[in-house]
Amino acid sequence: MLALVDVWYESDGKAILKNINMTFEPGKVYAILGTNGAGKSTLAYVIMGLEGYRPTRGRILLDGEDITDFPVTERAKRGITLMWQEPARFTGLKLKDYLTLGGKNKVSDEEIKRALEMVGLNPHLYLERLVDEKLSGGERKRVELASVILLKPKYVVLDEPDSGIDIMSVDMIDHVVEELAEKGSCVVLITHREEIALKADHSYLLCRGIVLKEGHPGEIVSFYKASCDKCDHPNEPTERVGEELRA
Amino acid sequence: MIVKDFEREFEALARAYERAGGDVSKFLDKRIASVIISGDRVIGLNGVEGVVLKPSKIESGVQVDMEIGAGVVLEHPVHVCTGFLEKKGYQRVIFNITLRRNAKAIFTAHCVFPWAEEFTHDALMNVRLEEGAWMEYHDEHMHSETGSINLITRSIADVGMGAFFRNTFTLVKTRVGKLKVFMEASLKEKAIAELFTKVKATKDDDVEVRETIKLDGEGARGLAKTNAVALDRAKVSVVNEMYGNSPNTRGHVECVEIAKGDGVEVSALPILIVKNDLSELTHEASIGRVNVKQLQTLMAKGLTEEEATELIIKGILT
Repeated sequence: MLALVDVWYESDGKAILKNINMTFEPGKVYAILGTNGAGKSTLAYVIMGLEGYRPTRGRILLDGEDITDFPVTERAKRGITLMWQEPARFTGLKLKDYLTLGGKNKVSDEEIKRALEMVGLNPHLYLERLVDEKLSGGERKRVELASVILLKPKYVVLDEPDSGIDIMSVDMIDHVVEELAEKGSCVVLITHREEIALKADHSYLLCRGIVLKEGHPGEIVSFYKASCDKCDHPNEPTERVGEELRA
Repeated sequence: MIVKDFEREFEALARAYERAGGDVSKFLDKRIASVIISGDRVIGLNGVEGVVLKPSKIESGVQVDMEIGAGVVLEHPVHVCTGFLEKKGYQRVIFNITLRRNAKAIFTAHCVFPWAEEFTHDALMNVRLEEGAWMEYHDEHMHSETGSINLITRSIADVGMGAFFRNTFTLVKTRVGKLKVFMEASLKEKAIAELFTKVKATKDDDVEVRETIKLDGEGARGLAKTNAVALDRAKVSVVNEMYGNSPNTRGHVECVEIAKGDGVEVSALPILIVKNDLSELTHEASIGRVNVKQLQTLMAKGLTEEEATELIIKGILT
């Protein structure tokens, strides 16, 4: 189990995440909802342990082990990975080299082919292509999803996997998430899209760095639609709302 | 084919050439045009129909005039091997290459200096492409690990109307030493040129690259690109230069340089000069440390920082 215990993250003296408590279990899907600026991507970076995103307070525990001070690579070696909202581009790097990490990720050609097909990319057309600026945003996202499939992670944070991908492909993302979970991965989905969030087992709603609400996705999505979509004080939860919700 | 007196020399060169990634069998295939130079001698030569190869001796080296006839489209690349098997010396090589109207040829060149220590290689390539011709010249170098080679390679291309010219220089597998790469192409109407240099410099290697494209004819297009990696105390200086001299010309210069090491020094200077208000030139450069997002993306997949850096560099130099 991956747990965030009383996690705070501050940048330039400003608290971006406040007293976050979350637990993630293998084989389950979690949706993190929140308006822009709520701290969702920061949460993803803190979980992954990116440079400059060490919690100011609190702990991150993986199966009881304190990994708060672990660097990115150590966390990745323990099965945690992250798909960026806008994945990086690589000059000259072929897709096959990227997916196999230059041979470090020992996967068969058959697995690569299947992963690409799952994300809707024809292996014959894409394997020799470069992971550079010539890929469209949607193609790059699909490549990243294929990479996640091949990594077989224990925990994966997908930061807005649907952004930049056409609406017709939402089913593909569902399918990938389902398959990851079926194979035992824990999927943490950061999303704005209701239909994706509803597929989760459990949801958290972030507002200005606090967990405003958590629970069944249907309940959280309904609240989000009723309150956050029309919110006239985005990312400024009033005490009243906070207390009411916590009650 | 191989000159009889030089068979043993060819064998020694062949071994070094294969280590450089070349395919020696191409030099023994009568269907493939080839030139083999060792020191100041041509030790192997094979012309095919439509290709005229004329070698001659010059001071401290060799000149080879190569002409591909009008309309001749070569099925196989012309293979060129330039070698120097001694430790000390000076070698001059001049290639005068002409492609007549609508001819098409690809050249695969390997320069191998496996044991050179105090050695200077001075190469000049003059290219003339007539209307509609297509030429690619891919030059890969393999040096010794002493880092004491002095290499100057210059190419001057006159690219005719509607012709295409691609010139690549690669030195990524061994030490460099001192290197100067100068590529220049002048383009006539609707001609296209791509100049591309890839270099990996280590220790105290010193590299200077200058790529220049003059878009002289209407509708001409050019790309001048350099990818370089400088490690340790190496120095890499790059100038990519583009001149938009005529209407509807388009040019782009691009430089990617990664620097890693104490005492390393890299520079990139794009020069864009427009002399016609219907010309459009652009540039793009990224120099310095390995991109953090790229690094962290790969590290989030389990690679160490060193492994991630290596993979990023591999991409840049491939």
